[in-house]
Amino acid sequence: MAHEIQAVRAQSPAGVEHTRDRKIFIPPVDIVESKDAILLTADMPGVDEKNVHVTLEKSVLTVLGEIEPVSVKDRKLAYEEYEIGDFERSFTLSDEIDPDRIEATLKNGVLRLVLPKTEAARAKKIPVKTA
Amino acid sequence: MTLRDLIPWNRTGSVPVRRGDGSPFFPLQQRVNDLFDSFFRDFAMTPARVAREEWPGVFWPEIDVSETGSEMVVTAELPGLTEKDVNITLERNSLILSGEKKEEKEEKGKNYWHSERRFGSFRRVIPLPEEGVDEQKVRAEFKGGVLTVTLPKTEEARRQHKKIPVRTAH
Repeated sequence: MAHEIQAVRAQSPAGVEHTRDRKIFIPPVDIVESKDAILLTADMPGVDEKNVHVTLEKSVLTVLGEIEPVSVKDRKLAYEEYEIGDFERSFTLSDEIDPDRIEATLKNGVLRLVLPKTEAARAKKIPVKTA
Repeated sequence: MTLRDLIPWNRTGSVPVRRGDGSPFFPLQQRVNDLFDSFFRDFAMTPARVAREEWPGVFWPEIDVSETGSEMVVTAELPGLTEKDVNITLERNSLILSGEKKEEKEEKGKNYWHSERRFGSFRRVIPLPEEGVDEQKVRAEFKGGVLTVTLPKTEEARRQHKKIPVRTAH
């Protein structure tokens, strides 16, 4: 079951134009496989549940987290290590994922996706009978 | 490629970039910046920074510092942490953020396909202007994995920030 999910070089779905003039970053992700599902975890600090969009278009799963910028008048940046921007990343799912049962939760800036495997794709243990 | 793609203003901000990969010259620029940072560190002008490439795989929260006439604001990206996981202390004109980003236990022992997120303990020391911050009024807020520490300036520090009116000469 190699490469259930392939991390695609992040691209926007074809033909989609971003209308916001802001940088977009690729969030770091962990992808873990368990017996029944694939778990995908992405660090998206600053994104809350209202501004996260998970879409599945054909077999491409796209996560987009938008940042609400804090604009304070007269605030000057004195030192910068990270830039403000949205997070976006796309993944190609194989047909071994059940698209209807994908679950997404966002907590403390970490997005967790549970991608359950279809019945057919689950690892089955075959009982061995004595002859 | 369509003609539209060749128009530069259409491209700004539309392609996702991995943090730090913004430009091919970024690593070089980072190095040069770090060199300057380490030089000026003696004057306590910038926070001490460990070049990330020297410590790959270690969680290192990134901070931004901004300021207005009346306060300084330090924000730190700490995805997955809550207010219970971070210690914030003020010590000899420094703001110290420390804590640990823990790996989710339930995922241990499973098959990893991809591992990019970083975990571990951290400690960041951010120098503050001397006598510049009203320690009693410092407040901190945690939201969506971003910590914001607001440090109001003291009256003295505010006085130093004075706007000089310009009059027209006759």
